[in-house]
Amino acid sequence: MIKYLLAAGALLVLGTNAALAHITLETQEAAVGSTYKAVLRVPHGCDGKATTAVRVQIPEGVIAVKPMPKPGWTLQTKKGKYEKSYQLYGQAVADGVKEVDWSGGNLPDEFYDEFVFRATLTADLPAGQKLYFPVVQECGDAAARWIEIPAAGQDKDALETPAPGIKLTPKR
Amino acid sequence: MNPTSPLQRTARTGKRFGWAGGLFAVLMALIVMASTGQAFAHAALIKTDPADGAVLAQAPARFSLIFSEPVSPLVLTLVTPDGTPIPLTSFRLSDQTVEIDNPQTLKSGTHVLSWRVISADGHPVGGSLLFSIGAPSEPPAVSEAIDWPLRSAIWIGKVVLYAGLFLGIGGAFALAWLAGGGRAGQCFVAGAILCGLLAAPLSLGLQGLDALGAPLSHLAQPVVWRTGVGTSFGWTVLIALIALGLGLLSLAGPRAVARPLALAGLVGVGAALAASGHASAAEPQWLTRPLVFVHGVGIAFWAGALVPLGLALKRQAAGAVEFLRRFSWAIVPVVALLAAAGIVLAVIQVQTPSALVDTAYGRLLLVKLALLVFLFTLAGVNRWKLTASAEAGATEVQRRLTRSVGVEVLIVLAIFGVAAGWRFTPPPRALAIAAAQPVSVHVHALQAMADLSITPGHAGPVAASMIIMSGDFGPLDAKEVTLVLSKPDSGIEPLKRAATRPGDGSWRVDNLIIPVPGRWMVRIDILVSDFDMVKIEAPIDIRP
Repeated sequence: MIKYLLAAGALLVLGTNAALAHITLETQEAAVGSTYKAVLRVPHGCDGKATTAVRVQIPEGVIAVKPMPKPGWTLQTKKGKYEKSYQLYGQAVADGVKEVDWSGGNLPDEFYDEFVFRATLTADLPAGQKLYFPVVQECGDAAARWIEIPAAGQDKDALETPAPGIKLTPKR
Repeated sequence: MNPTSPLQRTARTGKRFGWAGGLFAVLMALIVMASTGQAFAHAALIKTDPADGAVLAQAPARFSLIFSEPVSPLVLTLVTPDGTPIPLTSFRLSDQTVEIDNPQTLKSGTHVLSWRVISADGHPVGGSLLFSIGAPSEPPAVSEAIDWPLRSAIWIGKVVLYAGLFLGIGGAFALAWLAGGGRAGQCFVAGAILCGLLAAPLSLGLQGLDALGAPLSHLAQPVVWRTGVGTSFGWTVLIALIALGLGLLSLAGPRAVARPLALAGLVGVGAALAASGHASAAEPQWLTRPLVFVHGVGIAFWAGALVPLGLALKRQAAGAVEFLRRFSWAIVPVVALLAAAGIVLAVIQVQTPSALVDTAYGRLLLVKLALLVFLFTLAGVNRWKLTASAEAGATEVQRRLTRSVGVEVLIVLAIFGVAAGWRFTPPPRALAIAAAQPVSVHVHALQAMADLSITPGHAGPVAASMIIMSGDFGPLDAKEVTLVLSKPDSGIEPLKRAATRPGDGSWRVDNLIIPVPGRWMVRIDILVSDFDMVKIEAPIDIRP
């Protein structure tokens, strides 16, 4: 029992630590060829300043992106061509949303909020690897860029501003 | 300097006057030629390719060394990991860059590229850089030992050359202009000039040896002499030889031309000294070269008169009293000029009082100053206490004066010895110039690269300048650039500064303070696009 409690406590401490420091995704694992609900957790502003925009880049292989509108924020998407075309319900899809922007809002540093979108992780994505969603957090004229992707063999904890990512699991 | 009035007294015909004037013109032309060179200073190595400490995947086709100013290479050697030196003879010069061809495929391991170049002030500068192929190995031993026999020979050569110039030519001048009809000390003066005539060309060969880093045994090789002639010291020797010849002619030639010849010789002493050396290489050139000239002429006037005067007084020669009167009449303004020129030169060279104690150059200057205090005291006593009664004809006083002059000559010789020691010590001015040079590093990664230079390259307030390029040397229009300096072994938190764009295509960080010297890690964060940042990293050595 004590062991379990200690483990839980350690998990809690480590978990909250990571969540406090960075913008992360709530669901850290998803199967390729499935629909994924991405919940971006924004724990603080940029060096004390209120967050005014959150922009997320959609990586290649993620299609049919539908962001969730948010009261008080202007929602925009940027569309473009994919590197190749993907099959979605029997249809070829060659272009779509490449970036989602929530802007014009005001999230003070001391408050927490979430930004949500839904997307399809195509079956072409490599299972077993990590998939990153680089995020730029804007706070007026300042910005925090959660865009670092660890190089092969690099410890992700060594990064100062890591991009939020998920682990891809095999197709169910 | 107007040669007309003294010449008119001696030159009886216009022809003679024209001849002496021509000589004078040649000498002045030599001075001008020697002084029209570019701004001289010690060259400092700014950048190398490969960089010092670099680990390369394969042997480079060529090496390049970039200096702070144009240089000419003397000896370039590549030492392989097993310690075998390979002379590098194929190189090209373009402006400040020396490009050296790599003659052979290199095995893996740590190599040393040892270089020795000559900078514009005529002094050789050397160093070495390490790089490794594949992986670093134990670096091969490279001896940079001081060649003491050669150093001693250079020093002796310099002292003898000084004796020839100052005691010889100066003596000839004193005999021609001050001694009246007296010939006391003529043999000594002629001997000093002959010593100088021997020492001058020998010094050139020794300079060549030093420039090439070759031992004394190579003195007979023609390349050594060619190298010596090619340095600015070559001018000094050429002018010194002319001046020594003029001095000798004034002793041996007809009495009528002795005076113009001796005067031209004296001018030559100043010109010879102004043609090379630390002081003549200092900025501003329009000031330092004339000052060295005045200093040299002053020394020759003073020191040269001592032996003939001392001997004339000792022998109680006919014109001795007359000689003493003329000398003591002229010496006060001459020494005033000599001292003033020396003081200004010392201030230019030493720059800060602390350098007097901290540098070898400064310590030599202190020794010289101590000797000078002693010399001036003696000379002052002679001039203001003894001279008057000696002139009046007091024999006892004349004997004391003779002894005192003898001691003065010894001190003067000691001062020559100290001054010759400066040949081996870069002045604080040159050290400061070297310290102010930037340190540079080329950081290369697949996606981007940067040329970073930090100015000055030592700890303290600095400015950093970066040129950002894509991985294949193309332009890279970065959105933001951040410089991060860290020193993991010192416990100092990383210094992170956003760079600004002054508009010339570079990125700058001003008002940066690097607290401690040593090896720092430089990271440059380049924001290529909104969501894409490239971080490149390399070590950089900050001088103390």
